[in-house]
Amino acid sequence: MTALTLVLVFFAACGAGIVFSLVLGPARQGGVLGWLGCAAALAAAAAGGVALYSSSGFVLPLWPLAELTTLTLSLDPLAAAFLLASGLVLLPASIYAAGELRGESLRGRERAFTVMLLALYASIVLVLVAGDALLFLLGWEIMSILCYLLVLSGRGGENGQRAASGYLLLAMGEAGTLAAALGLLLLARNAPALDFAALKSAGTGLGAYARWGVFLLTFFGFGVKAGLVPVNSWLQRAYAAAPRAFAPVLAGATLNLGLYGILRVNAELLPATYASTGLVALVVGTASALIGILYATTDNDLKEVLAHSSIENVGIVVAGAGAGMVFFATRHPALASIAFVAALYHLINHSFYKTLLFIGVGAVETQSGTRDMDRLGGLIKAMPLTALAFLVGAISIAGLPPFNGFVSEWLTLQTMLRAAELSSIGAKIVFVLCGAGLALTAALAVTCFVKVFAMSFLGMRRLDRARQVREPGRATLSSMTILALICLALGVLPTYVVPLLDPATSQLAGTGASDALVPSFFAASREHGSLPPAFRAEFHDLGAQVGQGVLPGRGEVVLHRGGEANPVVFAMSTLYMLAVLAGLLALTYLVVRVWLTRARRLARGERWDGGLRRLLPEMTYTATGFSNPVRVIFDAIFRPTTVEDTRDTVAEHFRNAIRRERLSVHIVGRLAVQPARNAAFGIARGLATMHHGRLNAYAAYVLLALVIVLAFGLL
Amino acid sequence: MSQWVIRGLRSGIVTTAYPRSAETAAGVTPGLPVGGELGAQAAALVQRCPVHALQEAGGRVSVDYRRCVHCFRCARGVDSALAWQQSYEWGSRGEAAPQDSLGDPFRRSAHILVVDAGDCGACLNEVKQLNNPYYNMHRLGFFITPTPRHADVLLVVGPVTDHMRVALKKIYDAMPTPKRVVAVGACALTGGVFADSFVSAGGVHQVLPVDVEVPGNPPPPLAILHGLLVAVGRKPAASSTSVHAAAGRP
Amino acid sequence: MNRSELKNEIERAWPGVQCRLDAASGASEVACERAVLVDVCRRLFHEWGFGFAGLIVEEGAEAWLLRYVFYGERDAGRVCVLVSGPLAEQVFPSIAVKARIPAADWHEREAEDLFGVRFEGHPRLGDFVLHDDAWQEGVEPMRRGFDPEAALRNRLPHPDWRPRRIVQEAGAFVMPVGPKFSGVAESVHFELETVGEDVIRSWTRLFYKWRAVEKLAEGKTIDDALLLAERFAATTAFAHGLAFCQAVETVAGAETPARARILRVFLAELERLRQHAGAIREICESTALAVANSQAAMLEEELLRVSGELSGHRYLFGLLAPGGLLADLPTQACRTAQREASAAVARLDELERRLTISSSFLDRIEEVGIIRPHTARSYSLVGPVARASAFARDLRRAQPYSGYDEFEFEVPSEEEGDGYARLRVLFAEARQSVRIMEQAARALGEGGDVRAPVTPCAGAALGWAEAPRGATFHWVRLDQAGRIGRYRVMTPSFANWHSFHLAAEKFAFQDFPIILSTFDLSVAENDR
Repeated sequence: MTALTLVLVFFAACGAGIVFSLVLGPARQGGVLGWLGCAAALAAAAAGGVALYSSSGFVLPLWPLAELTTLTLSLDPLAAAFLLASGLVLLPASIYAAGELRGESLRGRERAFTVMLLALYASIVLVLVAGDALLFLLGWEIMSILCYLLVLSGRGGENGQRAASGYLLLAMGEAGTLAAALGLLLLARNAPALDFAALKSAGTGLGAYARWGVFLLTFFGFGVKAGLVPVNSWLQRAYAAAPRAFAPVLAGATLNLGLYGILRVNAELLPATYASTGLVALVVGTASALIGILYATTDNDLKEVLAHSSIENVGIVVAGAGAGMVFFATRHPALASIAFVAALYHLINHSFYKTLLFIGVGAVETQSGTRDMDRLGGLIKAMPLTALAFLVGAISIAGLPPFNGFVSEWLTLQTMLRAAELSSIGAKIVFVLCGAGLALTAALAVTCFVKVFAMSFLGMRRLDRARQVREPGRATLSSMTILALICLALGVLPTYVVPLLDPATSQLAGTGASDALVPSFFAASREHGSLPPAFRAEFHDLGAQVGQGVLPGRGEVVLHRGGEANPVVFAMSTLYMLAVLAGLLALTYLVVRVWLTRARRLARGERWDGGLRRLLPEMTYTATGFSNPVRVIFDAIFRPTTVEDTRDTVAEHFRNAIRRERLSVHIVGRLAVQPARNAAFGIARGLATMHHGRLNAYAAYVLLALVIVLAFGLL
Repeated sequence: MSQWVIRGLRSGIVTTAYPRSAETAAGVTPGLPVGGELGAQAAALVQRCPVHALQEAGGRVSVDYRRCVHCFRCARGVDSALAWQQSYEWGSRGEAAPQDSLGDPFRRSAHILVVDAGDCGACLNEVKQLNNPYYNMHRLGFFITPTPRHADVLLVVGPVTDHMRVALKKIYDAMPTPKRVVAVGACALTGGVFADSFVSAGGVHQVLPVDVEVPGNPPPPLAILHGLLVAVGRKPAASSTSVHAAAGRP
Repeated sequence: MNRSELKNEIERAWPGVQCRLDAASGASEVACERAVLVDVCRRLFHEWGFGFAGLIVEEGAEAWLLRYVFYGERDAGRVCVLVSGPLAEQVFPSIAVKARIPAADWHEREAEDLFGVRFEGHPRLGDFVLHDDAWQEGVEPMRRGFDPEAALRNRLPHPDWRPRRIVQEAGAFVMPVGPKFSGVAESVHFELETVGEDVIRSWTRLFYKWRAVEKLAEGKTIDDALLLAERFAATTAFAHGLAFCQAVETVAGAETPARARILRVFLAELERLRQHAGAIREICESTALAVANSQAAMLEEELLRVSGELSGHRYLFGLLAPGGLLADLPTQACRTAQREASAAVARLDELERRLTISSSFLDRIEEVGIIRPHTARSYSLVGPVARASAFARDLRRAQPYSGYDEFEFEVPSEEEGDGYARLRVLFAEARQSVRIMEQAARALGEGGDVRAPVTPCAGAALGWAEAPRGATFHWVRLDQAGRIGRYRVMTPSFANWHSFHLAAEKFAFQDFPIILSTFDLSVAENDR
């Protein structure tokens, strides 16, 4: 089957799903969404996979629009990579959403939800397979509006908050779309048509100002959807307000489209010729990463933590892409390829583990009724499978081996180190600082997700005794299992993923990354490619040949090679790591169970609590307490104000209550939104002085306008 | 900071030679009374003891060390006084001691958990002196640990007040085997002067199985050290009564 | 103001109230009705500057007798405000709330727990001595009709007891410390309310070590009760025994011989010196300054050995007796002991000099654990803790006993009220103790009586002493047979523990053990 056929199958499945949904009753909506959504997702994933694997895309002109362009569908490797990832994410997300439709959270709105969700799938793929700017923007708009409607579709809880968050999503989304559209139009100023091929060739002729204009407009325009600082204010609120069934799709699939837009325009259509644009992207990415993770670490609402963490991960992706743009502009195609593959890999990884975490949070919220980590705790006893899947997601997002987050973060940080090969001192300094920032982000991410997992699942149960907490249904568990397995697979099989992404990488950087990253240790000596024999021999001694003949592919070692003087910067193999880890665990278990405890009994006792008569849940660390050191260290960013009220006392000696509240405004709000808002209000107030009501002055305005127009007309 | 290094070095070594050889400095122990033949005054002398630590049989006075609260009324203000010996090796086996001493590998390395079950402060203060340069229990491999999970020896002081019963039991249960209990001080052995209080259990043996008992009020650090050495098997246990006692407990 | 002025003031302000001056003890007794109690106490405490020593509750045959003991400087003496009420109604106004005397807070709580007397207006009665998660309300163990076996049989702890939470902030939690915590420490429980690093509010739960000493003493002979007095807080055994003996001697009207008085002063100061060395050791240990810790520990051990060599017991047990001392101490031995004490204090001085230039040490105790002079005053704090907060009252000066007015010494005080100020006061008092010991050793003759006969008779009196930790008051009532009818102990740690939570608030967790060590508090002394 060709990619085109599969894409058409996808659209057919979506259409069929919408039709069935309109026709059937509310009880069958779950089935429709489940079956047809999965079918559609599989078709999309297959389309992307086929296109990537066989490096075959398609270009399909549809209808010509007079004077403008011909509407075109096209699938090139870059879009195929996104399509594959989206399809694989939408599969478990559909299963989970189908399960949720049977629950309480969407009662009465099942049909609307199913129709909108399937339409959203269609719009996502439309954006990815759009071959010209018009279709692209059309798909983008539909996707934006559907996101807004789906966010509003939840029920129960804070309806006012939800409406406000949805409106903010829509407003900022539209502003972003406008900026992006302007950027594309700027790019198309001298182009004969609006299809991507024409835009690409027109792009080569643009001057410096126009390039900067396109970059800034599309970077921040698409950056709204991606969640880059400083245009991210909508993200944490919308993700928190989105209904449980939709949040995974929002975080796993639509977020990527913003990054797709950025990459499409700034790496593919208009490849970087100045290093500075890449440096801007790098810096903005690092800033987003840091700010995102800081707010994630200090937040207590599970969904908001994940939203801030999305900002962080998007920042890492953009930083990688920015590094790629710098390397491409300074004519280091091999390094650019490494950077772009790191960015793409991280983006794909993020889709999977973020979706997994959102489904996990949805399960926790359904069972326990709250998302506040300060009120959760001890859930691992009641929902061990969910806890395990959530743990996989948490370890992945924290970037620990052998899961996928480790590979892509490692690749990104290694890319930063390669700045040694740049010639400009300024660029090197920026790379070093951003590399340090990203390393700090990685460390904070570990803190954040240790807190998330520990406060929700471990420790003493803080929930009401009466609340029954059980494992969620099969739909949730199976979707989490699929995602967890994918996370593990992407973690231990990087040597297969990188070659698969080669077509996309070469489209962006000019050359694939497999040669640089995945040396073919498994190949017989005469086919070794670019590896010097001494080098191969050294690695042979280290065991890089283990698995030859048994495992397919080029090898299991990911290598980061330096120049002549320093052939190997770093080498790692997550598959071997997993094997060794599993072996050590098994060995330890055997030693302890069989040998050490042979002559002894194992006794199980109460936890030690200092000799208290009873340890109470309020005597255990809360999430706020756990992250307090981070709050204190980074006080300059958070700038909280504490309001304390100690007046509730008797006779000035017996205190009844000390009420304290900590208020803080998000740093983006303080530094960008509030000044902008104050400026806007200031200007408006200034202009409002014109509206004083005096007719004589109004007549004078008209006269003045007439004079100006006449003057311009004469000149 | 260097001032401290120099000052410390200049102080030299003042650590006692015990247990290798006896410690003879003055003031290291209050001593214990020695029983003896007192003839006619024996009965009157026995009455003077406020905690019934003295027993009389045919003019011969014997002492139950576990009860002595060091009031000195058998030695002061009385015509025929009981003799006192300046000993300190007082650690004896608990009555219902079910276990031997710890033995290897604890002989040279034992972790001790100190629990205050209502003591007056003096026993605890003597335990604190074990870490000072004069006694330096670290050289004998004894270390104080704050958590029962790492403890081998539980050292209890105080008569076990009612409010500390639950805590003491929890502490004992939280210790992994092998473990030994050392009760230090007259209060921990018999309740001391607080034995009749309704909120005192009357001794650690009412709550936990006690392996080693160290009498005294308070026992000096050397006596506590001896008790610990008995618990790990480096010293033989002493008798808890004076040599003039009849066979078995008086 | 002096005693006669006080009497005039009182009789002028409240015409029905009688103020009787007891010439023998030098105390003024003010008998008043419940209605004016609050007013009388308020003026005594706030206007006329008396300190609050404690509340003594006695259950008479038909009535309650509440005795509020105030004390001032030398001329003003002690004032006992007496109020009584029928046994059936056991409600009295709370002077902690209504007269704004925080120092009375814990005394009223203890009275309620042990006797069932309720103090109207007090918002925190209950769960003080008898923990609510171990005993139900209404046990009242100090009452005459108390049956311990029945009480233990019918015990009903509160099944769902929770600590009172004061801090209301999102994410606030309670960090429990104890009763078993640290390496070698007394059993006490703290609850630190916090949102992470700083303690916002701290609460101390004492009485895990309550041995009911006051109940135990009832019915005992004075010799047996002396054993209790010495041994309930044995690190300062001599001071407590001394206060008890002086109370008994006052009841019996006995006067101790001169040699006994001088020896008592000598031994009391030796004990003070040794206890202060121990307190200094604790402070150095809490800040982990290892060599200073060892130096102070060596000094403490040496002073313990000096005490043991001189008196036969390292903590000076078995020397005190009502009427004087149980046995005489040879003057030569005393002089030797005094020389060794002087040598020890010279090394303490050197230690102090070195500590003063250790900036890492000072960082940890300076401006940490602050008690303001206002707090010291309103909580009637005592001892080095109070003197470090500019509230310098010392019973050896204010209410001299055992011949202290014949000795020359200073009462050191500081103003900052932080840990460093308390440390400086400890060092200064150690120096003054040796100064007194030198004078006492010189004043000792070669021999003499050390015990006067004491025939116990009915009566009641207050005995006091300036213990190393502060002022301690022992109230003794003897019945016709000369046995203890009521024994009330008001200890310095009881007063000072009350204020500890204020010092610990607004500091980080890591400062907590250091603040605790600078207070030199004894749980055994508080719990009794």
